[in-house]
Amino acid sequence: MILNEAEAVLDPVADIEGFLLGCLVDASTGMILASRKDQGDISLPTAAAGAADIANVLSLLAGELPIDGLEDVMVTFRSQLYVIRLMSEDLDPNILLLVILDRARANLAMARREIRNFCVNFAA
Amino acid sequence: MSQVPGLRRARQLTASVLPTRAADAYPSLAAGRLRKLGTAGSTGMLPFSGSGDGAIYFRDGKVIYAESDRTPGPAASAYKAYADGLPPLGRIMAVRAVTEPIIDAALELFTAQARHAKFRSARLPDVGLVSGIEVETLLAEIGRRQRLMKQISAVLTPDTVISRNPHPRSDSVRISAGQWALLIRVTHGSTPRNVAWDLGRSVFCTVTDAYRLLVLRLLLAAGQVPEHGLAVMSFVRAASLKKGDTMPVINARTAAEDTL
Repeated sequence: MILNEAEAVLDPVADIEGFLLGCLVDASTGMILASRKDQGDISLPTAAAGAADIANVLSLLAGELPIDGLEDVMVTFRSQLYVIRLMSEDLDPNILLLVILDRARANLAMARREIRNFCVNFAA
Repeated sequence: MSQVPGLRRARQLTASVLPTRAADAYPSLAAGRLRKLGTAGSTGMLPFSGSGDGAIYFRDGKVIYAESDRTPGPAASAYKAYADGLPPLGRIMAVRAVTEPIIDAALELFTAQARHAKFRSARLPDVGLVSGIEVETLLAEIGRRQRLMKQISAVLTPDTVISRNPHPRSDSVRISAGQWALLIRVTHGSTPRNVAWDLGRSVFCTVTDAYRLLVLRLLLAAGQVPEHGLAVMSFVRAASLKKGDTMPVINARTAAEDTL
């Protein structure tokens, strides 16, 4: 395992109600930098790659539409919620946080708030 | 007297005597060598030579460093930053600064099919607190990157000549600071690889950013552009696996492991 201590940074995210999986992804290369997983049947590489693709495609919109930069993305599946958030606007390359939640147990508004707070504290 | 040209005949003889030197099977043999070194908990250096010179350094079976003469190495400050006390985000960025050049060099050694020589003990580079990358993790990440490079290889490789588009399609395009840095360094005859050296960034990262700039029509690549335009590069497609393959899962930890 590379950099054992890196995974500990995701501990606060793992405390969110309904947490299934969380990971930090390098948006430029798609490489997973750290991950936490509480359920075995989610393919972390595929989920992380999807998050990076979504962020990259949405970033293409930024120059074409009057929008002021991507903050986060929420994708709702029937049984899961995906929250993708840029860790900081100033980073280069940017780091994405992907959190997958169990829709039956999670409160999306609360989860989003906790994820936002995590990102603020993470950069401090 | 044989009708086979001398050089070709020599290659045939070499292949029969040294089957490990067959070009098509070489990457899997090199991967097998790395796996053996990992399993044995080896410490030392595996030198590579041929299409690209370099080496992969092991400590207790983990890869702690890799270098290639065709990719930039880590910044001198990278290991110092990693060793210092940092906030979480700074630590993650330091992790990236340390690991990206290692993976980039290893990717180059595998892609260029440089030949590995005998594993030997060597003075290891000072890598501070870096614990090392598991061999399987490294190989899986190399595989993922090779699949991604293959997606775009018809249009762009690390050695494709690129140029700035004098007639951008749109007046308003948003790009990252890294992409801007790449764009302004492109001059006559530039390739992603030599821009990567200029920037001190990984070649892989520079190629992916250059491809994004091609999609935005801010850069042009030498050669033909497909009539239907450039497809958006897909990490998901690169994550698609053949049965039995593995994917990189760095720092994965399960709830079960937490309770141990």
